[in-house]
Amino acid sequence: MSLTTRLRCPICGADTSVAITPELLRQASEKGVARLLVRCPRGHAIVVTIDQYGYVRSALPVHEAGRQDCEVTDKAPTSVRARLIAILEKGAVTDADALLLEKAKAAGWVICI
Amino acid sequence: MKSFVDNWGMFLLMKDFMKLLGGAKGLKAFMQHENYRLAVAVQSALECGANCRRPPNDVVSLLFRIARHKGILKESYGGAECRVEQVPEPNAPPPHVMEEYFQMIDEVVIDKMCEYVMKPPTGVVSEEEALAYYQALMSAPFYVAFRKAVYDRLAKLYRYRRILDIGAGTQDPLDMLDVCQQHGSECELAALEVDPRICNDLEKLATKRGFEVVCGWGRVSGRYDIAVVQNVLHWTTNPLQVLLDARRRADRLFVSQGVIEGAGIGFVLVKILYANQPLSWKEVEAFTKQAGWRLARRYAKYPNYLALFK
Repeated sequence: MSLTTRLRCPICGADTSVAITPELLRQASEKGVARLLVRCPRGHAIVVTIDQYGYVRSALPVHEAGRQDCEVTDKAPTSVRARLIAILEKGAVTDADALLLEKAKAAGWVICI
Repeated sequence: MKSFVDNWGMFLLMKDFMKLLGGAKGLKAFMQHENYRLAVAVQSALECGANCRRPPNDVVSLLFRIARHKGILKESYGGAECRVEQVPEPNAPPPHVMEEYFQMIDEVVIDKMCEYVMKPPTGVVSEEEALAYYQALMSAPFYVAFRKAVYDRLAKLYRYRRILDIGAGTQDPLDMLDVCQQHGSECELAALEVDPRICNDLEKLATKRGFEVVCGWGRVSGRYDIAVVQNVLHWTTNPLQVLLDARRRADRLFVSQGVIEGAGIGFVLVKILYANQPLSWKEVEAFTKQAGWRLARRYAKYPNYLALFK
């Protein structure tokens, strides 16, 4: 039996349900958190992080950034992913953003063609 | 009351910081999440086989040290057994501005805790990843706001003309210049770095923002009105030498240093990102005095030691 929790799609705001299975809770219990990929009703891919109690820690969009032919890779950590996506979409607004993008490329979190 | 007297400078800073965190509720949620994650990390380390009396390495040792300070890791049966105090998971989410920080703690510290227990921590997060995490952390809005509050409200950097930013990193000089600009002050800033990789990054910023980059103590020339040491001492293997070198080059010294008293899991994060061990506020003050500095005004002892020396 699995529980269901709801969240809003970070891209379009659509209500999205996530099934919290015992397997996920076990994984979260072992590793601290578990991640799963879900799609909102409008098809946006979201990486959801849950903890051992089934609490949703984060829900971040997965999408390619068209600008500069760069994209955020799977290696990019959840914590920085949203900021990197924003930088790729809007451009590096500050010097600190530009430096973060550079470091992210070196770490393999962002690849550019 | 004693805590207030010891740390009135922190309370002054908190005025600015509290707004960013969402008031007293936000501050409370922040502290609850800090303690909760610290307890989870300690529990995870113990479950992965770490011995609390003889931690396998510096990362786990620091985690246990901080947890003991906070009363989260306790010893029973004369030290033969260790137990973790149960810290309930906070009901409220962390303040919005701290979400990225806590996610970073989850990913870098908690998720990888078993790896830190079982193998040398230097192999777990690569150097490139550490630099990227470091840049993300330094430029996180909450940390930028904290530093600007220190430079503006306590150090009052806009009053000085020639400023030496010791162990500048990539973000400090930008924050200092912002504070000077806000007050219409023309600060002449020299950013000193000993890490050649950070020096390269600084040089790219320097041309654009108009400050000087000094790569290594050997290249420091002239005398400065004030030297600033902002969370630098836990990155160096020889804090005394840094303070001695500062004494030779500047008339005043402002120290802002996170210390072990009241330290949170953030110190474990920076340790993983290749920092050294944190000091106590007494050690920071003793080193500074040993280097020939005279305490002019102390604003806080902990969790951040904040003081002006002459």
